Amino acid sequence: MSQAVNFFAAETEPYYLPLQDEVEIFRAAYSARLPVLLKGPTGCGKTRFVEHMTWRLYRETANQLDVPLVTVSCHEDLTATDMVGRYLLKGDETVWTDGPLTRAVRTGAICYLDEIVEARKDTTVLIHSLTDHRRILPIDKTGELVQAHPEFLLVISYNPGYQSVLKDLKPSTRQRFVSLEFDYPGVEQEAAIIAHECGVEMNVAERLAVIGERVRNLKQHGFEEGVSTRLLIYAGELMSAGIAPRRAAEVAIVTAISDDATVQQAVADIVDVILP
Amino acid sequence: MASLALSEDTLALFTEGIAGRYFHIKATDEFSNNRNLAYDAAAAQGMDALYLPEHVDAPDQSCYRVLIMEQLGLRECDTFSFRMRKALETIPQLQARYIEPKGASVRTGDFFLLFGSFDQPSLAAELFNLLEQARVQGHLLRTYPGLHRHMTSYHQHLLESVGIDGGPLNRGHRHLWGERIPGVQWQDLTTSLDDLAHPGTTVYDSVAALCNHYDEVSGAYVISEQRPYAVQEESLPDWLNRDQRIEEWEEALDDLEQRAMAVEMLEAEDMQAQRGDTNDAAVREAEVDIKSIVDERDTLKRRIDMERSSVQHALGADRSGARSYRYDEWDYLQRRYLTHWCRVYEETLIGEDSDEVAPLTEAIRHFQPIVQKQLEQIRPTGLQRVSRVADGDELDLNAIIEARQDIRAGTSPSERFYSRKERMHRDVCAIFLVDLSASTDDPIEPPEPFDWSEYDENADENLRDPWFSGEADEFDDEPKRKIIDVQREAMVVMASSLDALGDAYGIYGFSGYGKDCVEVYVAKEPNEGFSHKTLLAIAAMQPKRSTRMGPAIRHATHKLMQSGHAMKVLMVISDGFPQDSDYGPERGNHDYGVQDTSMALKEAQQKGVESFCVTVDRSGQDYLRQMCPDSRYLVIEEIADLPDQLSKVYTALTGR
Repeated sequence: MSQAVNFFAAETEPYYLPLQDEVEIFRAAYSARLPVLLKGPTGCGKTRFVEHMTWRLYRETANQLDVPLVTVSCHEDLTATDMVGRYLLKGDETVWTDGPLTRAVRTGAICYLDEIVEARKDTTVLIHSLTDHRRILPIDKTGELVQAHPEFLLVISYNPGYQSVLKDLKPSTRQRFVSLEFDYPGVEQEAAIIAHECGVEMNVAERLAVIGERVRNLKQHGFEEGVSTRLLIYAGELMSAGIAPRRAAEVAIVTAISDDATVQQAVADIVDVILP
Repeated sequence: MASLALSEDTLALFTEGIAGRYFHIKATDEFSNNRNLAYDAAAAQGMDALYLPEHVDAPDQSCYRVLIMEQLGLRECDTFSFRMRKALETIPQLQARYIEPKGASVRTGDFFLLFGSFDQPSLAAELFNLLEQARVQGHLLRTYPGLHRHMTSYHQHLLESVGIDGGPLNRGHRHLWGERIPGVQWQDLTTSLDDLAHPGTTVYDSVAALCNHYDEVSGAYVISEQRPYAVQEESLPDWLNRDQRIEEWEEALDDLEQRAMAVEMLEAEDMQAQRGDTNDAAVREAEVDIKSIVDERDTLKRRIDMERSSVQHALGADRSGARSYRYDEWDYLQRRYLTHWCRVYEETLIGEDSDEVAPLTEAIRHFQPIVQKQLEQIRPTGLQRVSRVADGDELDLNAIIEARQDIRAGTSPSERFYSRKERMHRDVCAIFLVDLSASTDDPIEPPEPFDWSEYDENADENLRDPWFSGEADEFDDEPKRKIIDVQREAMVVMASSLDALGDAYGIYGFSGYGKDCVEVYVAKEPNEGFSHKTLLAIAAMQPKRSTRMGPAIRHATHKLMQSGHAMKVLMVISDGFPQDSDYGPERGNHDYGVQDTSMALKEAQQKGVESFCVTVDRSGQDYLRQMCPDSRYLVIEEIADLPDQLSKVYTALTGR
């Protein structure tokens, strides 16, 4: 559910290819401690962008954290308790344990709530007091009011085209964030990303990017999202591991995006004419 | 033998993916219904459709992809953007041949002008097609390398099945299909074909090649009489070319309008500056300027309108906004399915008239409380607390105590000592299919015949012409409520109530005329929310044409199956029996339509869709009994009850 990322052991910068001015805007938002909302389809690089920015920002600060980025992947059963913390049984005692959000608030990490609309409604209300001038997190079970660490920042992501209007952010939530829109990159940029991520030849990466572009034309048929950059990278990785290109594309792209046999066949046909 | 029916749906998706826009995939037979446009090539295209042969004598289905790519290639290579004026400027060989034909106007097609420059226009057209094929083929093989093997296999098949006649066109085609015979005739032509396949060539290179090779090629054929290029009204490429030209004109029009506006603004400024000034020469000059621009703009606007209507007339209504599907039909006389018999167009209804919404919101106010109350009976409300789970937001006290006891007793306790709230899910998807046939335009109750028995000639109000007076009375009446009005109201009431219930529901209207044009109008898709847009769309439901129920039901079933919900409900609301121009051998006999509809409902049932038919036709009992499974129909006597009855039926169907 929650995942702590420690970059500083690896010392390598998570790769991210800026498409517009998102790096500058994020940096400016961070320096003013404005919460950030990332909007965009699945697998277009939102999470990678946050990792990349965290890596850059926390290298420049004095606050050397072990866990500078706390990621919570939200799902339908995620409640406020899961984020804030709960009482656990330890021997004969019940012991309070902080949840990922509380930990980030206390230590001054960046807390990234991925796919926030998936979570239950009570979680979105939780973040209200954290995202305005108050910057506090009330924990009603313990009666504590946690004042956020000066370096704490909340980043959330959501995917507007993904679900019906039933799952949309309330304006009162949405209007607390600086919102950055993401989309799949153009063919050339996507090819560069694929080539970098999986070490395939540029011409192979370019073919994969063209597949991405064309399959995304079919967005509304049987699968809510177009094929993501992530899937294209998977295909490329399989190829560089020695799997034949058509087979790699079949397992990574065709079967992954839809269960509908007709759609699968159509995507397979598209892949088939584009790959050499 | 490859057959279109086998892979039509896949091909439509394939085309959309490659082209980035939707094309209807149609069989060439459907195309031949359009008697204006005879076209004998294997595949063809219109504004919104690709026409492919129903069967191709080829080893496998991939030949269809080759045919589709060849058609899309023409678009990708800008064949239809050919402009005669530009060709004349850049190709001196063409200039030498061109004589402007009599009667040519700005609206004459560019291909018509081009081929008219040659003494055998149809031969020139064939040669041009060959040269363009070479160019498109080169482009396709570069851009879609995977197409190579399918193309090779299809071409191999063509080489085997098409005979050799020794003519240059035949030689050229065989060259494109991969036949290489060294030292044979027509080397120049085949070299040109190879050159055109190189990157960077344009349609004008093909035209230049046409001019270079035409004389030699035409010399090879003994032609007894001049065969004209298709008359202006018959050539498909010409129409597509003209369709594209409209877009260019529209750009020019935008440009002119902007200029006109700029001049008008300038003029207004000048007028203000010069108010009181007697020097009106400058003003006059500006007026002349603006007048010429406005004239030019109006001429162009008229021309665009005329051209658009001719193109529409020739190519048929543009349905690029719709999607289409083919469905089988049950022929009860032969006791078999007619495969891929009906074409259903699915269009989205977009309403714009906000005035129409007022009666609908009134209906919501009036009916919703009643309907909502009905529907609330089926709703398992709110959240439920589930205890003894491994993960939750609260500790479950009972479980904790038990766990403590276990620990004290020295046994290992259960770890499930949390409780959490869970929302109870209802996974229902319903589609309401509303009959929009012309008869829904009828008033609910026939007008009472006027009682003339107490007619008093001298009565005050009848001093004028009595006939006129009678009509004036009718005008004074409230406008008669029509069946469609009640249908619309029932839909909005259901929609707003179901929205509160949280079920997914779609609202479709259906009508059409003939088997090749069944129309399904989407007012709301199940995955959309209820909004003002939905109200507008429902208000835009209008009486249209016939009632071919079978294909509409099959389409709704198809959509329900795609929705992926656990419970699927289809409710058909009609005002009469199924009927259409070619729904059965005789027009007056409704058995065929009833049998087909009955079969469509059975198919839905087999697929797990719960169906229900509601009719407001009082004589509906007779045919509904034949059409629907037992207890799956309702005849509504009083049409005003429709919203109430619908909700009752819905509750009964889904509330189990």
